[in-house]
Amino acid sequence: MWDTYIIIPMTNVLLFIYEIIGHNFGIAIILFTILVRAITWPLTAQQLKGTQGMQELQKDKEWLSIQKKYKNDKEKLASEQMRIYKERGINPFGSCLPTIIQFPVIIGLYQSIIRSLAATPLSLLNMSRSLYSFLDISSVIPLNSKFLWMDLGRPESIDVFGFALPTLAVIVVITSYIQSKLMTPPSNPGDQSAAMGNMMSIYMPFLMGYFAMTFASGLALYFITSNLLGIAQYAMMGRANWNNLIPGRK
Amino acid sequence: MKLKKVFILVVAVVLATLLSGCSASAMRSNSWAGLSADAEKAYLANGSFVYAINLNNGNQAWQYPAEKADTKESFFATPVLTEDGQLLITSAGTNHSLISLNAASGSTNWTFSDPEGVWIASPIVVDETIYAPNTDGKLYAFDLLGNFLWAKHIGGTLWSQPVSDGEFLYINSLDHHLYAFNLSTQEVLWKAEATGAIPGSPALDADGNLYLGSFGAKIEAINASAQNTSWSFETKGWVWDAPVIEENTLYVGDLEGNFYAINTSDGRPVWNSIQPDGTIIGSPLITEDFIVIGTESGSAYAIDREGAIIWQYSIGGRLYTSPVQGDDLILFSPMEMENQAALVALDLEGRQVWQFIPEN
Repeated sequence: MWDTYIIIPMTNVLLFIYEIIGHNFGIAIILFTILVRAITWPLTAQQLKGTQGMQELQKDKEWLSIQKKYKNDKEKLASEQMRIYKERGINPFGSCLPTIIQFPVIIGLYQSIIRSLAATPLSLLNMSRSLYSFLDISSVIPLNSKFLWMDLGRPESIDVFGFALPTLAVIVVITSYIQSKLMTPPSNPGDQSAAMGNMMSIYMPFLMGYFAMTFASGLALYFITSNLLGIAQYAMMGRANWNNLIPGRK
Repeated sequence: MKLKKVFILVVAVVLATLLSGCSASAMRSNSWAGLSADAEKAYLANGSFVYAINLNNGNQAWQYPAEKADTKESFFATPVLTEDGQLLITSAGTNHSLISLNAASGSTNWTFSDPEGVWIASPIVVDETIYAPNTDGKLYAFDLLGNFLWAKHIGGTLWSQPVSDGEFLYINSLDHHLYAFNLSTQEVLWKAEATGAIPGSPALDADGNLYLGSFGAKIEAINASAQNTSWSFETKGWVWDAPVIEENTLYVGDLEGNFYAINTSDGRPVWNSIQPDGTIIGSPLITEDFIVIGTESGSAYAIDREGAIIWQYSIGGRLYTSPVQGDDLILFSPMEMENQAALVALDLEGRQVWQFIPEN
């Protein structure tokens, strides 16, 4: 089921893009990411709306009054906050949900990259079975896995004074952090849900960076492209909270 | 605070497990057996180990490594026996090792691990020189003592064992080309383009004609002297492994599960293709009385020279590797057998004699 509905379609889309753009797998991944971002645009827009709602909530009288009223009863405060979220149609996990929603895409893309690059006989055989009959892919096999200095089927690093520096992983951490921070709504000290969002915006970039460092660099290329597109999307919609990037400013 | 940490930890663990699971399953599924035999033993490259198995009883004579598996090694190229008693094995693992073993004992003679790429092709020995094609697109040469002689860039990704007429090595590449490498000048003298990637070896006849099957769903005959294509024969599916020649007939199977006999002089079918019960990956084995093939469905077939099936035996698992004859036995190395058997021996009547289940 996962194979039929996720891996095989993704593999074919990747190979189709690869074929029409002149056999560059790196560009194919970038274009594929743009396609995924375009498809999930409404979802991201909805999350941004939720984030804005959170920002507006911080100035709301009812919100401020329950913070005062239940400051010594955390359970009651949480339940009141949930009630207000529900009434106003706000999702308190606005900053981390887009990242979590990416997970199936990340896993599917990773498997599609490995399958498409087919570095072993069995992976080549499996790949040959993943192709839709209307695509004439036989002429482009094997795929060129080289992009700039990278082999997209392997983890990336650049040798700097004898150290293997995982450049892409570092860029993934930075862009993931910026994206998360731009989406993080301002929060009050007692707001547990928003605090969880803040926490996620710190942990998730490192988690993504770890994956970028450990797995095929094609995946890191997807992370970076996706993050940059996300940042551009927030900026274009005028929803990016640039103040969040500076520590101490809200 | 605890709840937050637990939530983040759960997200991290789930994603890491899923991604690692993908890698682990990829590693497992990357396994592909390589099989060869002499009159006394079968040599089986299987995952992290290479086994020598006595043909008379199916018992293990030795294994390499002798004890613990090295996770950086992954053997699936066909082991190659040399005249001086070496067994050459290559690893597709991260060690990038080409290893010479003592075929009698399994002890290591020498190891070479310098190339950028992994080894999927078997080496070939010509006039006491070992020629080993690598996935980095280079051909590496060694003397029989394991001394590195040179490495020459050929092209593309090299997955298959070359063939040689003593003057040239003919090397197929995944870059859709057959390369003719002159052994005296150590240069590629000419190359011929095929209609698709060529994962298997070419077949070479006594008249200097080369036959290769490709992902272009064609068998192409190339005249080495004229360096041109004599004929091509369209198959119904992609061709994976090398065609095999017997006199004037070429035998080959395809991924759509068709088995063909083709006249080498004009490329016409000798008989209509036959359809066993599944995809045919490995090369056929020519015996004195019949031709043997294995299918992905786990069946072994003996076919006579008129295209009639003599017997069929259901081994199980998936038969990707070309069958091999050792003494009076036909050997198959199935993958994914329910009982984990890695080698099955049939007699010439198609009855199972023994099977070998590795202890590791």
